[in-house]
Amino acid sequence: MSIGYETAVVGVGNTKFGKVAGVSAWRHQVEAVQLALADAGLSKADLDGLFTESQFTEPLLLHGHVLGQMLGIKPAYLSTCSIGGATAISLVQQAAMAIHHGLCNVAVCVYGDNPKTGFPALFGKVQMGRGQADSLAFGMAGGPVMEARSAMRYKHDYGVTDEMFGAVPIAFREHASRNPNAQYRDLLSMQDYLGSRMISDPLRMLDCCIGASDGAVAVVVTSEQRSADCRKRPVYIAGFGAANNLDGLSDPTHYTSFAGKRSSSTAYEMAGLGPDDVRVAQWYDCFTSTVLITIEDYGFTGKGEAGPFALEGNLTLRGRLPSNTSGGMLSEANLTGWNALAEGVRQVRGESTSQVDNASVCVVSGHGGFQASHATLLLTEATG
Amino acid sequence: MVDLLTELVMGTTPIVTEETRPFWDATVNEELHVQVCDECGARQLPGGPCCSRCWSMTFHWERASGRGQVFSYTIVRHAFHPAFADDVPYVVADVELDEGPILTTNVTDCPVQAVRIDMEVEVHFAQEVNDPFGSLLRLPLFRPIA
Ligand SMILES: [Zn+2]
Repeated sequence: MSIGYETAVVGVGNTKFGKVAGVSAWRHQVEAVQLALADAGLSKADLDGLFTESQFTEPLLLHGHVLGQMLGIKPAYLSTCSIGGATAISLVQQAAMAIHHGLCNVAVCVYGDNPKTGFPALFGKVQMGRGQADSLAFGMAGGPVMEARSAMRYKHDYGVTDEMFGAVPIAFREHASRNPNAQYRDLLSMQDYLGSRMISDPLRMLDCCIGASDGAVAVVVTSEQRSADCRKRPVYIAGFGAANNLDGLSDPTHYTSFAGKRSSSTAYEMAGLGPDDVRVAQWYDCFTSTVLITIEDYGFTGKGEAGPFALEGNLTLRGRLPSNTSGGMLSEANLTGWNALAEGVRQVRGESTSQVDNASVCVVSGHGGFQASHATLLLTEATG
Repeated sequence: MVDLLTELVMGTTPIVTEETRPFWDATVNEELHVQVCDECGARQLPGGPCCSRCWSMTFHWERASGRGQVFSYTIVRHAFHPAFADDVPYVVADVELDEGPILTTNVTDCPVQAVRIDMEVEVHFAQEVNDPFGSLLRLPLFRPIA
């Protein structure tokens, strides 16, 4: 029996995002777990699966062990995962699989951190690219320097203009302007975008996601049967997929098309859905170029056509594919894709501050690990 | 010990490993080498414990021409690591060697705005440095072919 539509997200919780002084990463995580369980109408006693991503400010192995002990739980299934920006979606997939196969019944997936006001996030910022690849020696420090080379090639090969990149943060900021929890809420103009400081050509400041956010997100996953007893209407995990191109930028084909192509086709097949069925999207928006390339990989436009698609306003509520409706990592908060997951659930429930009419199918992407890893989630209002 | 740990956290030189030692040893003599599979002939960088294509564990290292083309690049204008504060703006480029592998490096010896995709470049080598464990190496950098 296919796993599509067999599990559901029944709870979502998030803390305040942004600058939250005096609250540890652990405390953020605990708060999000409690909020998500309460949202689901479930309690500590129901929880028998824990799926975590370690924070960057106090990076440690065995993160899930420490958090689980703090929560005072003895879960059947425990997993801590680290595949960069694809981790959130991957953990939800792992939870769905563990539940589907009877290894646990009620799983919480959680991530939280406080790099804005807590310890400096050394791990992952300074130590990018030392060791095997040694690219740090050449100044390959910081996510924008990595992504910029993909963006440069993408613009070169497909004639993508600055304004096409600019359409992405402008649309997402419009959504963030209605979200009281978003870190940046002032509307942006194309002039604001074009005037923003160049960070690593062709990426400007406004092409890059927020540098640091305090906060946490947790979601509760359970079986389709169990979901009927929860407090709110379930959001079905209709399909999911994953794919990795671990060669990253050593592979000349990987600059302008990512593993999202394989990942999304697996998800579409599992759900029996295609791009035409999708009403709203929450993209992993570390950078504007990543969003445009992912839209193409997922089949919403042809190759090289996502830029004009964005410039025509299709990523706003008035367009074909409203995207990152909470503001995403470009405007709401940088929770490494976890806030996109939370917003995807809210859209299907009808609870977004930028609600799309009839948001019956929402796609959520996760993308990371030096652009190598990709994961896809299709969330639906209806069972299959 | 504290100095070594500080260097490991904050340093930027490559760390020479079993897999990459032949590559870095060659740079001391101002030569660029690539790993070549004895079974299938695939060339790869960085060096690995096996041929990533056919998994053969027998391979040798060959001197490359040192020439290639800029496959893509960026002009870094913000120093994300304090070690590069005095270097911005600088070019990080992915150079596709004539022998095949793509090497992440810097393009030097020209204004940053002169760099282009498909530009023909050739290798040269930076000053000799020690890695944290005392191995000598010279960073391979590239410049436009005049
Ligand atoms: Zn081989």
